[in-house]
Amino acid sequence: MLLKRLQPMMFQARRNYVELMFQVMGRALQAISDVDEPTREEVRALPEGFLFEMQVMPNGPKLIVEHTGDGKLHFHGDTAPRPVDLSIQFKHMAHAFLVLSFQEKTSVAFANDRMLVDGDVSYAVRMTRVLNRLESFILPKLVAQRAVKEYPADIHLPEKLMSSARIYLKVATQFVETVRA
Amino acid sequence: MTNKYYEFFCPVKVIAGKAALEHIPYELTGLAAKRPMIITDKGVRAAGLLDPVIAACEESGLEIVSIYDDVPPDSSTTVVRDIAAVYRKEKCDSIIAVGGGSAIDTGKAVNILVSEGGDDIARYTGAGVLKHPLKPFFVVPTTAGTGSEVTSVAVITDEKKGVKLPFTSSFLLPNAAIIDPRMTLTLPPHITAATGMDALTHAVEAFTCMAKNPLSDAYATAAIKKISQSLLAVMDNPKDQDGRLELAQASTMAGIAFSNSMVGLVHSLGHATGAICHLPHGLCMSLYLPYVLEFNLESIRESLGELLLYLEGPEVYSATPASRRAEASISAIRKLRDALHKRCELPRTLKETGKVLETQLEAIARQALDDGSIMFNPREVTLEDALSVLRRAWA
Repeated sequence: MLLKRLQPMMFQARRNYVELMFQVMGRALQAISDVDEPTREEVRALPEGFLFEMQVMPNGPKLIVEHTGDGKLHFHGDTAPRPVDLSIQFKHMAHAFLVLSFQEKTSVAFANDRMLVDGDVSYAVRMTRVLNRLESFILPKLVAQRAVKEYPADIHLPEKLMSSARIYLKVATQFVETVRA
Repeated sequence: MTNKYYEFFCPVKVIAGKAALEHIPYELTGLAAKRPMIITDKGVRAAGLLDPVIAACEESGLEIVSIYDDVPPDSSTTVVRDIAAVYRKEKCDSIIAVGGGSAIDTGKAVNILVSEGGDDIARYTGAGVLKHPLKPFFVVPTTAGTGSEVTSVAVITDEKKGVKLPFTSSFLLPNAAIIDPRMTLTLPPHITAATGMDALTHAVEAFTCMAKNPLSDAYATAAIKKISQSLLAVMDNPKDQDGRLELAQASTMAGIAFSNSMVGLVHSLGHATGAICHLPHGLCMSLYLPYVLEFNLESIRESLGELLLYLEGPEVYSATPASRRAEASISAIRKLRDALHKRCELPRTLKETGKVLETQLEAIARQALDDGSIMFNPREVTLEDALSVLRRAWA
């Protein structure tokens, strides 16, 4: 009975968490494309002006980033300036929460049909690699190992600390700028 | 509580065995279809494979209204549009695709246009675009490998843009797949071998990759058993109707398995090699399978070890220590490749194909990394990993 009464609050908390994670991830994607050359190398293969969206179906939270050229990503929040080129869509808020709370790896979520890809699959594979690299940098190794298929062997502790500090600093700066605006 | 989750879907009616083709008129009538169109290619027609299909229909008073027999190996948007125009002109009401992967994919794409309307198939590309069932659609495979008769995907080339358009929808699945041993009886040895290895790869990857599930496992293991028991027998006696039927069924079962659990790095490398070096898909599968299994070994040791039972039988399985079964499974696949090489010179290395340059390996590796199937490979694959598999497969 109590659980049933608490359910709407739990759903709202879950939704808030997913929204917050999309905000952080969107800004972090922009930040990692500023600080990490391998990420830029991956993104360069996308056409300039390419819009990527992650969304919870049917009208849930979303994040939209654009490839602005030379491997740089720009976070657009949850509003796209034009129709997106690639959309990765979680079928339900519960599935997004599983992935964003690191209970289910992104690759496992794909294998479990939790997500749909609308657009060029090869770009989706590339963006998934970018997301994996981001998670490997910004999460503690023990948590990152729960989020990605394999923790990259080429990310060592000093590089991880330096890059994650720079990414978090940029994310914090963007949040402050958004609040001021 | 388990975190495991899976989905499984296969609504295709499988009509298999002796005189299966003769069931087509009854099945079409059951769907209120009276004016079928056959879509096929010149090779199928020249081999006389249409004759029993037409005879089966005519004997039951069902007229084949139109036959399009000019499907190219890589079907295009123009071909699809042209066939749809013939379908409409002749007032057909159903499609029978007779052939391999290209004819079947073309049939699926034509069915989209004639059911949804319009001339531009590119409008329907992507996943989940189709919202309604399509016209009655039957598939009669003439190779035992692709499994296209039970997959919900079609790929058509847009020759103007130079890109391949993927179409994914459960509505693309045919109403029925007709598996008749007469249709594969005249397959040449090297195609029998390559398509058999294609089906084996579908089953092995379905059983060892990330989206494996209990239902697809059942289909995959049954397919592997049939291929292990029948492929060499058919190579030695191509007119063995029972063996041909076993291989054709195995191909369909492997198709059901992989369309529900996806495939992995063997297919990523195979798709890239096919695109760059124009090697047949089945051959690519045969080339890469053991090397990819070695690469994935520590992630799939348990499941790969289980496959020894289906590859080599209960005696070998029980005589092999559990800790060595995974390696023994790879050895069994190598042994099968050696036997096929001996019988029809099916290449075992990229060098033996004579169509791949060592300088192309990096391009193949780079393209493979962007292939959708790599998402389902049990191990993460870097460029260096892909290259190392390719180097091992080189010679």
